Amino acid sequence: MRNINPFWRGILYLVVLGLVGYGIGLGLDFVMAGELRFSGSVPALFTLLFGFTAFFLGAFGFQGIARGLVWQIVGTLAGGLLVAGIRALMGLPAFGDFFFTEPSWVVGGLTGALSFIVGVGVVDDWIKWARGMDTPEHHEEHYHGWAKYFAVSLDHKVIGIQYTILALLLISIGGLFALIFRTELAASQLQFLTTDMNLFGQNGPQLYNTLMSLHGMIMIVSILLGVSGIINYVVPLLLGAQDMAFPRLNAFSYWIAVPASVLPLMSLVLGGFDTGWTGYPPLSTRAPVGMQMFFLGVFVAGWSSILGALNVIATVLRMRAKGMTAMRMPIFVWAAIATSLIALTATQFIGLSFQLVMFQRLLGMGFFDPAKGGNPVLFQHLFWFYSHPAVYVFVLPGLGVISELLPVFVRKPLFGYRWIAMSSLGIALVGFVVWAHHMFTSGMNEYLRVPFMYSTLLVAVPTGVKFFSWVATIWKGKISTPTPMLFVLGAIVVFLMGGLSGPPNATVSTDLHLHDTYFIVGHFHDTIFGGFVFPFFAAIYYWYPKATGRKMNETLGKLHFWLMTPSFFTLTFGMMYVGLIGMRRRIADYDPALGIDAYHLVMTIAGYLIAVSVIIFLYNFFNSLKNGEKAEGNVWNSRSPEWQVPSPMPAHNYDQPFEVVGEPYDYGLKDSAYVRFAGTAKSTHK
Amino acid sequence: MAHSENKSSALMQGVVIFVYLAVLTGIEYFIAVAFDAVPLLIVAAVIKAGLVMYYYMHIYRLGEDDGEDQHSYRYKTGTNRFGLWLFLLSDSFVFAGLMAMRVNLLGLTRPHLNQLLGLAVTAILLISSFFMNRGETAIKYGDRKAFMTNTFITFLLGLGFLLGVVFVEWRQAAHEGLTADFGNPASGPMGAVFYMMTGMHAFHVLTGLIFLGIVWNNARKGIYTADQHWGVEAAAVYWHFVDLVWIFFYPALYLIGTAV
Repeated sequence: MRNINPFWRGILYLVVLGLVGYGIGLGLDFVMAGELRFSGSVPALFTLLFGFTAFFLGAFGFQGIARGLVWQIVGTLAGGLLVAGIRALMGLPAFGDFFFTEPSWVVGGLTGALSFIVGVGVVDDWIKWARGMDTPEHHEEHYHGWAKYFAVSLDHKVIGIQYTILALLLISIGGLFALIFRTELAASQLQFLTTDMNLFGQNGPQLYNTLMSLHGMIMIVSILLGVSGIINYVVPLLLGAQDMAFPRLNAFSYWIAVPASVLPLMSLVLGGFDTGWTGYPPLSTRAPVGMQMFFLGVFVAGWSSILGALNVIATVLRMRAKGMTAMRMPIFVWAAIATSLIALTATQFIGLSFQLVMFQRLLGMGFFDPAKGGNPVLFQHLFWFYSHPAVYVFVLPGLGVISELLPVFVRKPLFGYRWIAMSSLGIALVGFVVWAHHMFTSGMNEYLRVPFMYSTLLVAVPTGVKFFSWVATIWKGKISTPTPMLFVLGAIVVFLMGGLSGPPNATVSTDLHLHDTYFIVGHFHDTIFGGFVFPFFAAIYYWYPKATGRKMNETLGKLHFWLMTPSFFTLTFGMMYVGLIGMRRRIADYDPALGIDAYHLVMTIAGYLIAVSVIIFLYNFFNSLKNGEKAEGNVWNSRSPEWQVPSPMPAHNYDQPFEVVGEPYDYGLKDSAYVRFAGTAKSTHK
Repeated sequence: MAHSENKSSALMQGVVIFVYLAVLTGIEYFIAVAFDAVPLLIVAAVIKAGLVMYYYMHIYRLGEDDGEDQHSYRYKTGTNRFGLWLFLLSDSFVFAGLMAMRVNLLGLTRPHLNQLLGLAVTAILLISSFFMNRGETAIKYGDRKAFMTNTFITFLLGLGFLLGVVFVEWRQAAHEGLTADFGNPASGPMGAVFYMMTGMHAFHVLTGLIFLGIVWNNARKGIYTADQHWGVEAAAVYWHFVDLVWIFFYPALYLIGTAV
């Protein structure tokens, strides 16, 4: 056994223990329901939990993430059984359709997430502090190689990579979901998600709804993780800090995201839910148990986002290198600050709104139930107060990446540094007062429509500032186009399309027609791809050598770009077009009389091509770890401090502190330097 | 009033601020009983909040110069302080959301509650904040014994508040027909709002009590000194924050509008 490659040992464990889980689930379900339901929820749930855990158990042994997952399973069952016992004592039914009853699953889900945190060992130091014991500032790394990334580490670089890997995993899962329902949409009528099928207690269209809803939320969580990944890896390096301000909190923020990712996957098999990612009541008060697991997952992911944002702000405020005044910070740091301000505060509102629905379901509290004096529109206000600014959480770091990388590849100063810095804050602040543009058709007070229309259109001003700055930066530059730059340019164009398709949705008169159509779907995929996905890929291609000491393959990178970009435009323009002629969003089927079957077929093919391009990327990502071209120096000829030291980055970042002595983006100016390291006469930058 | 320079004037400052807060609470109660003036209640609450934030939570310490050495205890404490205040900023959005819910669902009505009991628990929490401030001042001047006594009193008062709300107030309210799920839909969402707001606050009181227990136990072991007692400061600021929330929740639930 010892001689097998850890990956294949993990797969072996996955298969064996997954089958064991399936058997246990099938048996338990048989005891409860009295019949063998081979495609039922309970066997699927146990297979999921056991298989997922078994993989890490096989690959790395009972430590780190594997121990956390085992604890999560035990914690979930313990919490569920506790509630079942209490219910039995109260004379209520102890077990339900999905083995446990809904209250059992909610409490079990929460205790499971908390157990994970204790099991993985990320709170060990805090428990010692609470007992009055001191712990060392830094711990020795116990693990090396791949194992380092699957156990608790306090190093921000390790945590940044952990975030990125988890984000890529979730993007793959969310993308897979999208491919499944995109396939169903290729032609009108139901072809394979039919009403006859039954999987996890759901028929075809119900499964379509669940996958469509989960696609939304899993992608959102993966974006939050991806954002945290870039910020965690890059920001302390840009600031010249040894680590984040609170390394333990940083590790906590990452590890709480792991159970937060498991919970929505549990909702897939626990009956699913059919509300879309927004979870509006009254539909969400009637959906199956899966709804609650979804709420819990988002709630726990919210903690990750809030605490991560807190850490970023504290780090930027307190850990900057000497001489790094506010207007000499790298521009990406400004974006990180702006995004963190939103995540720190507004995230509480989505947690609160989902929590209220949870309580309404569990305890009958009538917050959103008109029959009990509640108000369903209140939910939408609370929900969008986070969920609109959330899109700026997604895109601001991406726009920061564009501004950060562009000067490097055009060899010119960034045009209008101060304006870009302030425009990030401007977008963040305006973003707080635009939420009700999602609710023009909701029946809210009519006098609210016009002010929210204008505040929304106002967002175009700071965003426009960024575009003008990018264009002016590119103007007459010495442009080179390695893969990261291709993705930066792609991001600008795609985000422009997203931006231009925005005002029609913000304007009340046109929105009344466009609301809930595929036009909206096309619009936000453009903004999110332009604002996050393209810059995320750019950032990975750009900082990959810093993290690994090797470059990703250029040919495959270019193939990735040239396959993804046209496919993506085909997909989203197609979405906008079918939306304009009447395609509703969030539905499994559409009327053949609309005459859009051909468009949908093309869109589905484009969707598959995007998937192929991402597979090429993933192959490149993992293959280059071993076989990539060595790149230990300043590969992009950047002025930024992290490129002035060898790659991969040393364990505690900079051996010698640096001092900021000039402007960050004075590319092409003679004898100018951004940073000077202690003990060297001048910067190594030419 | 300037920042206090020595122990006795620091303690005196705590007393004076407590008197201000108590008088303002009395005035709030009087305003609510005598004439139903919501703006005045808001003004009173904002003044109280300002006093607590400045003199009990010492928000001005965020602006202190912590020196150049990023590895010193002082600098790290300054960073921790920023972290704690950012957390409180974030947490206050939960309560702001609950407040928005209350305004949306109840408007200018409020649940029919035992006014005397409300005033009593409010007073208990306010007094606990006073003792917390004395405790923190004591450890700042190296008086471990006085710190432990005052923190213990704070803990008992906090526990009294928690038990008072959950076991007396909730029981009474339920007895008077204020139930969470409302067997009688016509009576509106009062119960849901009341239990949610007091429940979320009580949860924070509970975490604050755990925090107080931890620092009390650590003080017993003697790990806090006059120069190094970040744990105490954090527990104190958090405890005052819990009081700060109640400064707004008390009028929102007990004083504003008409009882139905």
